[in-house]
Amino acid sequence: MKRSPEIFEKIEGYLTNTLPEEELIAFEKDLIINEELQQEVEKHRIMHNVLRDQDTLDFKEKLMRISTTIKKEEKVTPPSYFSSYWKVAASILIAFGAGASLYWYTSKDQNKTQNLYASYYQTFPAEDNTRGSTTNEIQKVIKQYTNGAYDSVVIALKNHPNLKTQKRLCLYLGNSYLNLDQEKKAIHQFEDINPTDKYYEIAQWYLSLSYLKLNQPQKTILILEEIISYNGVYKIKAMKLLNELKK
Amino acid sequence: MSSTEDHKILEGIIAGDEVIITTFYKQNLQYVRQYILQNSGNEADVEDVFQDALVLVYQKSKSGSLVLYSSLRTYFFGVCKNIWRNRLRKNKKMVITEEIPDNAESIPPEVIEYITQNEREHVYRKHFLNLSTNCREVLRLLFEGKSMREIANITGYSEGYTRKKKFECKRSLIEMIEKDPIYQELYLTKKQQRHEKKSGNI
Repeated sequence: MKRSPEIFEKIEGYLTNTLPEEELIAFEKDLIINEELQQEVEKHRIMHNVLRDQDTLDFKEKLMRISTTIKKEEKVTPPSYFSSYWKVAASILIAFGAGASLYWYTSKDQNKTQNLYASYYQTFPAEDNTRGSTTNEIQKVIKQYTNGAYDSVVIALKNHPNLKTQKRLCLYLGNSYLNLDQEKKAIHQFEDINPTDKYYEIAQWYLSLSYLKLNQPQKTILILEEIISYNGVYKIKAMKLLNELKK
Repeated sequence: MSSTEDHKILEGIIAGDEVIITTFYKQNLQYVRQYILQNSGNEADVEDVFQDALVLVYQKSKSGSLVLYSSLRTYFFGVCKNIWRNRLRKNKKMVITEEIPDNAESIPPEVIEYITQNEREHVYRKHFLNLSTNCREVLRLLFEGKSMREIANITGYSEGYTRKKKFECKRSLIEMIEKDPIYQELYLTKKQQRHEKKSGNI
């Protein structure tokens, strides 16, 4: 059966009981004799039923992300029987001269920033959505955020009109980008929160971590110094991270 | 593992606790991997089976219908093995190397039935999550029951473009699903059953 927008609309209308009576009668007549149409309707029916369950989709999405992270970790940390070979290989590279040394130190630096990022980064917690006057739509986004369905959060928030007025949403969006390894987009969100906003210090903290993840420690250091001079709740964390970065 | 620990893991799974889920994933992946690779599977099969089994645990825990007669781990491995055997059987590649005693996993018959019934769902979900973010957004709103006009307002597309986009995304999703080997096996089995039923009636 050739698929067309018209057939899809009729099937959708049939499944949601929104077809006008005449069209419904004609469609049902066709359905009785047309086996291909029966199969197509069945495919759409299952699709609508299965994919309406957003919670399970969010859970599956989270599993896919966890699996990707585990695979990345497995690549970064090769099995132990390889480790001695890696060390030997690295020693040979160093012996080959300055170029190799530079490579070695660069990757070491990168390891340091990534390790620091891993130990300091914690996803910004979602606000208790049972309080306040959040809309159903935002409550749903918060639930997706709490469940780690960051792709869905990005889809829901990236063009959301409330981003301009509710800067907390920028923090959710920025953190979702960070969890999806889209640091530049995260930076854009955190930079969008200006110094007069009550979330400014938090945004600066996540901005410093975004640059850390991008392996740009000099930028991180500048932002951390600003957080320290701001003298707020992130001061102690910022001082600790700054010390470790300067070691 | 104690039942208290199992209870904590299940609570973590329902709540979407990333630390608990990641720990469970890491601790159990190797065993499932070994089983599937030894029995005609590949790495992609390992990932599919592991995640589909965890989705089953999530759905059953959330609905309150998960009954454990053994440890969670034993139950989980039992689900994984049943999903994989089911796929091999349908694929006519039934070469199970391991001898499994009857009482090795306490999987109630209704769960085995549930696994068979839910095979199609896994295929639909997997391919939906592989669509582009724009397609997912349009289809998600459609499945929520939103009209074309509402979807257009939310996405910022024109109504005409939304209609076109919805059709293209849905068609592309159906085509991906139809090409999936698990779906093809399920489709053939169903077709065969229909044919046998018709022949029986005659």
